[in-house]
Amino acid sequence: MSDTTPILRINALTKTFNEFTALHAIDLKVHDGEFLAIVGPSGSGKTTLIRLLVGMDEPSDGSIWLRDQRIDEMPANKRPTCMVFQSLALFPHMTVGQNIEFPLKLRKVAPEDRKARALELLDLLRLPQDYYSKRIDQCSGGERQRVALARALAFDPEILFFDEPLSALDYRLRKALEKELKDLHARTGKTFIYITHSLEEAMVMSDRIAIMRAGRFEQIAPAEEIYARPVSRFVAEFMGEVNLFPIRAGQAEGVTLSPAAASAFGGATGTLMVRPESLQFLEGEEHAELTFAGRIEAEYMLGSRVQYTVTLEGGQTLIAEVLRENAMPGGPGTPVRLGCAAAACHLIAEA
Amino acid sequence: MKPSAFTRAALLVYGIAILAFLYLPLVSVGFASVSKGRYLSFPIRRYATGWYGEAMASDTVRDLLFVSLKVAGIVTVLSVVIGFFGALAFARYNWRFRKTYQKLILLPIFFPQTVLGLALLMWFNAIGVIPSWKTAIIAHMVWIAPIATLIISIRAYSFDPALEEAARDMGAGTWTTLREVTIPLLMPGIVSAGLFAFLLSWGNFPLSLFTTGADSTLPEWLYAKMVSGYSPLVPTVGILTVAASATLLAVGLTVPWVLKLVKRKTAA
Ligand SMILES: Nc1ncnc2c1ncn2[C@@H]1O[C@H](COP(=O)(O)OP(=O)(O)OP(=O)(O)O)[C@@H](O)[C@H]1O
Ligand SMILES: [Mg+2]
Repeated sequence: MSDTTPILRINALTKTFNEFTALHAIDLKVHDGEFLAIVGPSGSGKTTLIRLLVGMDEPSDGSIWLRDQRIDEMPANKRPTCMVFQSLALFPHMTVGQNIEFPLKLRKVAPEDRKARALELLDLLRLPQDYYSKRIDQCSGGERQRVALARALAFDPEILFFDEPLSALDYRLRKALEKELKDLHARTGKTFIYITHSLEEAMVMSDRIAIMRAGRFEQIAPAEEIYARPVSRFVAEFMGEVNLFPIRAGQAEGVTLSPAAASAFGGATGTLMVRPESLQFLEGEEHAELTFAGRIEAEYMLGSRVQYTVTLEGGQTLIAEVLRENAMPGGPGTPVRLGCAAAACHLIAEA
Repeated sequence: MKPSAFTRAALLVYGIAILAFLYLPLVSVGFASVSKGRYLSFPIRRYATGWYGEAMASDTVRDLLFVSLKVAGIVTVLSVVIGFFGALAFARYNWRFRKTYQKLILLPIFFPQTVLGLALLMWFNAIGVIPSWKTAIIAHMVWIAPIATLIISIRAYSFDPALEEAARDMGAGTWTTLREVTIPLLMPGIVSAGLFAFLLSWGNFPLSLFTTGADSTLPEWLYAKMVSGYSPLVPTVGILTVAASATLLAVGLTVPWVLKLVKRKTAA
């Protein structure tokens, strides 16, 4: 995949607003047919980036290439890209059908063909055919979402951009639409670039995830890699609950390392990442490669799993998650020892 | 909270009193226009509709009507165009001194119109322009264009700029975006602004008085005849002037509503 020309290539793209630099000379390559998620906290520059890519704003420096063509000077209405807005931007003065047909009408497609395509798209997005003549304000949030998608697909872009299109929906609908979007990506074979601030959402849908922080990419990698081998504390913490222990010259406070583990970390300095689900309770005097000792502070039922907050002897807090059948009887106050394998941990070189 | 019986009675009396205060003078003008006598005195002894026939046949009235219509029509078109682009400039773009400029532009609305009219007249004289219905258009514009801008701005501020961006993103150029998205969405504002512009120009007296020169509009003539040469033709023309305004207002208010109903019917 990597030896073919990428569908989108960004070189040293920079955007400054007055004194403030929102994007710092970023590089990115996106492959044809890929589903790339761009994830980052609020204000990290996600919307700014996407607006440059579709042509809504002009870059301060750098270049954007669509296959072999440089497009950063091309006006938005000439670019073969399309964006689904956070607000969806459905035209309130048009029916569902007119909205979907809008890009086709601009291309002077005959009315019958337009209608046929709109009905096809309603089908693809699992909306009933009679929605064709509904007004936008008669549609629910989830239905509007689909209409916006249908309209973008009617445009038939080379790359489809999404700016947090699901953020306004309730949890269940969002989960359902995430799966549908992934499925739609597979069926259409288009390149999707999707902005979200939820890493969870990105993990469900995308092939690769680009983590953004203050106008730079912190890590661009497939979901498994981001999950297992984050390059920085920022990425590790962004993913939710993880245990991070500073490690100096192979010694981490609060953790007892077996001789094998100590040699595995070989005097490293950085941060040791231990995922809650890699931890297991130890019985008696049993030792693991990494051993933690402390008292249960609180326990939470998460359905099939149980989560524990443990206060270690050195005062640090450890989060552990175990399957229900491996739960620790006793509850808060119980002294416990937990362990995990060195291979299940990840060493972040950064301090 | 439900109002008590006393409150409701008081509100009713109050409401009727206000309506009477607003509309009784107009009704009396109506009576005057159908009185056969030269001056209005109650009770009216003999009724006549002859003055209406006379008004219709009169060349003077026809000329007045023509000038008033011409001025109001042109003022309406120009005000709506200026108001449309002005509203977009205020609502869409952020530029230096935008807020200050906006206030400066609205200021003429609150100037006494006689002073405004006098100032314009002096200015026309200074640059050697002979006042006529054409200069009256300029005078009306000074006062009415800001109002039209204000009315359209209210609508422009409440619409999501992403709608225009979405249109562009899907391939619409500047003009197509304007035609397909911006104008249809601002339409209610444009219609109200047009209606206001027409009615304000149609009924305007102080600005016209100073700036029409030898030409005359209906309100000016009414005033002149009231001062000297009164006949029941004056209230008759007055009633016709008001009736024209009322009709336009009624049409302006009902047409969008009817259109909406029709649209809803065809869409369903
Ligand atoms: N037009 C602008 N003028 C000045 N600063 C801007 C402008 N647009 C964005 N910024 C700044 O650039 C930074 C990045 O904004 P951006 O909207 O790209 O963030 P984001 O990652 O999309 O955040 P969110 O998740 O909240 O949507 C922010 O600090 C913002 O204040
Ligand atoms: Mg954003």
